[in-house]
Amino acid sequence: MSWIDVGHIDDIPLRGARVVKTMQGCVALFRTGPDEVFAASDRCPHKGGPLSEGIIHGRQVTCPLHNWVFSLETGSAQGADNGQIQTYPLRLEAGRLLLDGDALSKRTAA
Amino acid sequence: MTKQKLVVIGAGMASGRMLETLSDLAPGAWDVTLFNAEPRGNYNRIMLSPVLSGEKSYSEIVTHDAEWYEAHGVTCRFGEKVTAIDLAGKTVTGENGAVAYDKLVIASGSTPFIVPMPGHDLEGVIAYRDLEDTNRMIDVAGNPDAKVVVIGGGLLGLEAAAGLRLRGVDVTVVHLNSHLMERQLDEAAGYLLRRALIDKGITVRCSANSKEILGKDGKVRALLLDDGTELPCDLLVMAVGIRPNVALARDSGLAVGRGIHVDDQMLTSDADVLAVGECVEHDGAVFGLVAPLYDQAAVAAKTLTGQSACFVQKELSTKLKVTGCDLFSAGDFAEGDGREDIVFRDPARGVYKRLVIENDVVIGAVFYGDTTDSSWFFGLIRDKTDISQMRDTLIFGPNMQGASVDPMQAVAALPADAEICGCNGVCKGRIVEAIEAGATTLSEVRAQTKASGSCGTCTGLVEQVMAVSLGDAFKMPATAAVCGCTDLSHEDVRRLIKSQELKSQDAVWQELGWSTPNGCHVCRPAINYYLLADWPLEYRDDPQSRFVNERNHANIQKDGTYSVVPRMWGGITTADELRAIADAADKYNVPTVKVTGGQRIDLLGVRKEDLPAIWYDLNKAGMVSGHAYSKGLRTVKTCVGKDHCRFGTQDSTGLGIKLEKLLWGSWTPHKVKLGVSGCPRNCAEATCKDVGIVCVDSGYEVSVGGAAGMDVRETELLGKVATEAEAIALTTAFIQLYRENAKYLDRGYKWVAKVGLDWVKSQVVDDLENRAALIARFDLSQTVYRKDPWAEHAAQAETYQPLADLTLEAAQ
Amino acid sequence: MNVVAHTSTEPFIRVAEVWVPKGERLVCSAGDYNGLDGFEAASRKTSFAKGEGLPGKAWSEARPVVLKSFDGSYFQRTEAAKEAGLTAAVAIPVFAEATLLAVLVVLCGDDAVRTGAIEVWTTDADDMLTLDDGYYGAAEEFEFVSRHTHFPRGQGLPGGVWASDTPILMRDLGAGYKFIRASAAGKAGLTTGIGFPVPVPGGSPYILTLLSALGTPIARRFEIWDARAARMGKSGNAVLIDGVCERAGALWKDDGDGLNSDAPTASPWKGVIGQVLGTGLPVVARKNVGLPEGYNAFVGLPIHRGGGLSHVVAWYI
Repeated sequence: MSWIDVGHIDDIPLRGARVVKTMQGCVALFRTGPDEVFAASDRCPHKGGPLSEGIIHGRQVTCPLHNWVFSLETGSAQGADNGQIQTYPLRLEAGRLLLDGDALSKRTAA
Repeated sequence: MTKQKLVVIGAGMASGRMLETLSDLAPGAWDVTLFNAEPRGNYNRIMLSPVLSGEKSYSEIVTHDAEWYEAHGVTCRFGEKVTAIDLAGKTVTGENGAVAYDKLVIASGSTPFIVPMPGHDLEGVIAYRDLEDTNRMIDVAGNPDAKVVVIGGGLLGLEAAAGLRLRGVDVTVVHLNSHLMERQLDEAAGYLLRRALIDKGITVRCSANSKEILGKDGKVRALLLDDGTELPCDLLVMAVGIRPNVALARDSGLAVGRGIHVDDQMLTSDADVLAVGECVEHDGAVFGLVAPLYDQAAVAAKTLTGQSACFVQKELSTKLKVTGCDLFSAGDFAEGDGREDIVFRDPARGVYKRLVIENDVVIGAVFYGDTTDSSWFFGLIRDKTDISQMRDTLIFGPNMQGASVDPMQAVAALPADAEICGCNGVCKGRIVEAIEAGATTLSEVRAQTKASGSCGTCTGLVEQVMAVSLGDAFKMPATAAVCGCTDLSHEDVRRLIKSQELKSQDAVWQELGWSTPNGCHVCRPAINYYLLADWPLEYRDDPQSRFVNERNHANIQKDGTYSVVPRMWGGITTADELRAIADAADKYNVPTVKVTGGQRIDLLGVRKEDLPAIWYDLNKAGMVSGHAYSKGLRTVKTCVGKDHCRFGTQDSTGLGIKLEKLLWGSWTPHKVKLGVSGCPRNCAEATCKDVGIVCVDSGYEVSVGGAAGMDVRETELLGKVATEAEAIALTTAFIQLYRENAKYLDRGYKWVAKVGLDWVKSQVVDDLENRAALIARFDLSQTVYRKDPWAEHAAQAETYQPLADLTLEAAQ
Repeated sequence: MNVVAHTSTEPFIRVAEVWVPKGERLVCSAGDYNGLDGFEAASRKTSFAKGEGLPGKAWSEARPVVLKSFDGSYFQRTEAAKEAGLTAAVAIPVFAEATLLAVLVVLCGDDAVRTGAIEVWTTDADDMLTLDDGYYGAAEEFEFVSRHTHFPRGQGLPGGVWASDTPILMRDLGAGYKFIRASAAGKAGLTTGIGFPVPVPGGSPYILTLLSALGTPIARRFEIWDARAARMGKSGNAVLIDGVCERAGALWKDDGDGLNSDAPTASPWKGVIGQVLGTGLPVVARKNVGLPEGYNAFVGLPIHRGGGLSHVVAWYI
């Protein structure tokens, strides 16, 4: 596994998200707690809304366009909606955010 | 049998325990020389906190006294520092001379870390480690006006603050993180702890970065924080961490990392030298809590007597010594996939319990207020017990496993004298009495007994008593709860935020018993609004609790781009402003430029990355955000009025601009649109706005509650006033009343329909004192919020950029 | 621990009685009169209605009451008290929520020798604790200082008890440790202090402090037992969390990590503390067996909070 350092956890506001541009599109990093970050695709499978702009609560995020809710742990849409976003392995080491480079290059089209 | 010579450097808790165990295992086998830099023998350092507070005396915490040393053949060299260890010659040299050893145990402990900020070496800056420090603090308490600042809101710092407080000192705790004891507690428990400390009269400042210690004549006089605040103090205590004391070991040639390297037998890199306590590093770990030190001491004693023993790092738990704060924490709350929380809150008793579960095993626990069964839960963590069968009842502890808890059954089993409503002292029997006398609805019970008539937290319980008594004849009311996180309605929550003085999100989650750790996308924006409306100085708007438009201060379009609308006060602009807008449209390749119904211009299709730059450019031209996206004041539509129009009775444009400049920036329950027409022809369409003012010869007709969206409503007259100043006053008071009372997302007309125009009139028209008070509160809130968000956000431009751009990296 | 030469010490509190409601009246259910038979006889045959006499006043006014001059007051056993040399009394009501369970009455004798203090603290209009009243024996200067001292939340012994809502024991009140009224305490010879909350219906805070001097101690052994459900679960047991004894020294056991203490536990009905736990009432006893070695008189006072018994404060003479 090759881990890519993309930034420091304090660059992401608590219960906020920042985006990392990759070859396959934008990956959003969601900071759900003081020391907890999840990485997932930024694009909502419904109508392409930017998930990084949604409200983060517990370990979930709500898409700002039509309120689909996704679990950041599994990537699956909650409630009555059916859909899935890609999640990516992420490590937190001494405050640095490390994304799995192999997972980013292996991703198939969602 | 000749005794072996043992030299022990350091008389702390680990060393004391080791000597005890050693003398139990091999009595009389060792001739011990015990050095201690502190001028005293072994004592329970952890109990220094109750000594500080006066709850214990020093003599009570001494663990080994002169008698004990004499009885166990220990030669004491207290107050004497060790200056060198000769590993080859096997001697230890102290200030008063050298002594030879067969075996050596280094227990030099740790030294408190002093942050090397300017002023750290002033007289009056101390750490909190030994009896000298404790006595310094006790001495300062002899001065009735003494002020002490404690840097460090961890275990030690808080115990120092609590002890000082009991002695009567004015104490302030300064902590870098956003909540206290962040290594052991999550935010919710940190909030409860903070509340308990504030309740004791201790001032707590979190998220506070210390910059410099200020002195006068070589003595400390104040602490300066990063934000410029000066905290005056006569003594400054630094409790920010400890570092293993390794200098002696390192100088003598032993292997040293962060601490003295030891193996599982507590042996150092020299076969005749052991180390125990806070000075060691075992498997990369250093130690600050006592339980592992005692384990190490036992292992070291066994190693010295030739028995086999192995030190194993185990799960640790922490407990706070502060009287009245029951706190237990163990395990791990760090990030990870696949972790689940079980949260239990009992706001009336100030109880918060959280378990962190991963793969059917409890990996972490935080308990505040109720630490029953903490050892049972600790056992689950340590033993990695599979809890899948008891997940649903796990949080209730070992006595509740296997039972299912039916709340109705619990209520039915309550005795008649069980208190249901604490505020009014109403017991179950009284409520049942009222029901038997004919009360069948909540309001009837409330009217007769006063139960649930004050703070309202017992309403659910009252309803359960009614359900138990009346059975199916009682219909539990279906008031819409805010969302799935709670059973309370918006009205309940608003009322409780005011009556219980809840001033932070954590206060709401905890005191109102939210079932999620931090709400959801439905309730959090509402709670965020209610808090900032009721407590403008104590609570700040949280961008992460706002919908994306309000957070980014621009409207998101369906393709992910944004629309940017600068303000045009009262619909009036200038050639320079128009030029600035046109230039921005060119520079940022804005595809669409549109004139809006709100009498201003919209730039549509701006990329998120360009937002800070376009704002900056518009700011330079003197323009600010038009808040076209916010739940706040949108526009004040005007018609030309007396200045130019032959029908104009008053200066409607001027009034409109004044109103816009007064009201802009403030957050409201939903968007607010105003209109000011210069005469009853109403060219500004004022009568379908939230507040519409129609100017007439004799003054101004202020009306409210209009709408022209999905619903079309005409405004109703609030009042007719003679002067412009009074029109502004009435409008401001109405807006503030709306802000303080309406349900989040209710437009003005919806809210007026709910509360009735008569009530609104009684609050702002008839009652001049109340009107003035509302205006004062609005002004106070505006001191915080009446400013351009674009300017602020343009300064943080980098947060609008992606965190990283991997497309620029070479192919992996 | 050094063993203090056991000279005869005069206890500050001469008599302790427990009054319980029977129907609408309070009757004396137990008492330690330490030989004052005349006063004992007078008490055994008296009963009080709500509002009547000292115990009745504590009940009707729902607060602890200090009475220092029996003549011409509402005190009813004045003659008997005079004969026994008793001149001051403190009545401590024991409420569980709004229900009165009992009133503990302690009586003291006025003379130039005995010093100690029994104080009742409550809040004033500025939300600070002030002295409601107190009995000080011969410690006049200390009394003066106390009457002019206010405690904010968390400060000093009364303020600490108020903020934490639990009993607190403080050692070494005199010079050497800067207790807020230290120098006056030192001069009066007051060495140890115990403070505890007295819950009353309506919730106004009342804090009682007993300050003890070496020569005329309130007691020579104090104990604080924790019986809260949050600590002990539903067992009804209590664990000894703090205490100081002239003979045995410190009575608490805490290794520092709080998890593995082997502190003594009391179960309902077993032993004197167990009697307090089982009945929920104050217990006074004078006997030669069943008490810690060297003591023959005991007073145990329950504190009821949050629907259950939360603490027991005990002292031994």
